[in-house]
Amino acid sequence: MTLEFNEALIAFDVQAQNAREVIDLLAMRMHAQGLVTAEYGAQTWERELHHPTGLPTKPFCIAFPHADSEGVHRSTLGVAMMRQPVIFQNMADPDEGLEVSVVFMLANRDPEEQIQTLRNLAELFGQPEKLVELREQANLQGVETWLRRELRLG
Amino acid sequence: MGKLIVVACGAGINTSTIAEDTIRERMAKEGFADVEVKRILMADIEGYLTRSDLVLIVSMMKIFRTFDVPVIQGMPFLIGSQEEKNVLLEKIVDIVKSK
Repeated sequence: MTLEFNEALIAFDVQAQNAREVIDLLAMRMHAQGLVTAEYGAQTWERELHHPTGLPTKPFCIAFPHADSEGVHRSTLGVAMMRQPVIFQNMADPDEGLEVSVVFMLANRDPEEQIQTLRNLAELFGQPEKLVELREQANLQGVETWLRRELRLG
Repeated sequence: MGKLIVVACGAGINTSTIAEDTIRERMAKEGFADVEVKRILMADIEGYLTRSDLVLIVSMMKIFRTFDVPVIQGMPFLIGSQEEKNVLLEKIVDIVKSK
């Protein structure tokens, strides 16, 4: 099964007060394309509270919010490039807040179906020079082209 | 008897799937046909602790208790460099071989 990914699912130069706003923004973009239910943002936030997804990647932190497959009509990836970081709690240590600069929101029908995308994301998360390259993209089109290539989204 | 590795994360979705897949691939490469790699919810760990075939717990979260079997912190499978991933995989291979 393919992963739906397009320009409208990328939010560039985002100004948000907190993690919830970013999750809601991406969930609304997904919902506008009929990819998830209207409740998906609230569902993802609920899960984020109990199972946070901030990751201490280098040289800046990222977050990887997701909920379970309930509410996902089609697997999709939304990305938010933050103007200023927002705080997500650390997945490995929920007591620690991380300043997150890029948010990758993966809405999955089934994680095993998207295993190759997950592997490609993990490969990206582990390469500081690649994350810098992503953050240095000057505009939305640049981000889309770069992610399509690096995550091999076709 | 087979050997069981559990990969535990908070919700058992994307994060543990990445680690599970990476470990499975390496086990296959080593020819360890009797090793089962299974992703679970951390909340369900109790049910696995009594299994005599359990050889290793890979946890994507911080652990606040001790176990009778070795525990490996699996976060590098998600955010580590290729080299860090390889170090973890070597460790896992050694543990499986020693059991």
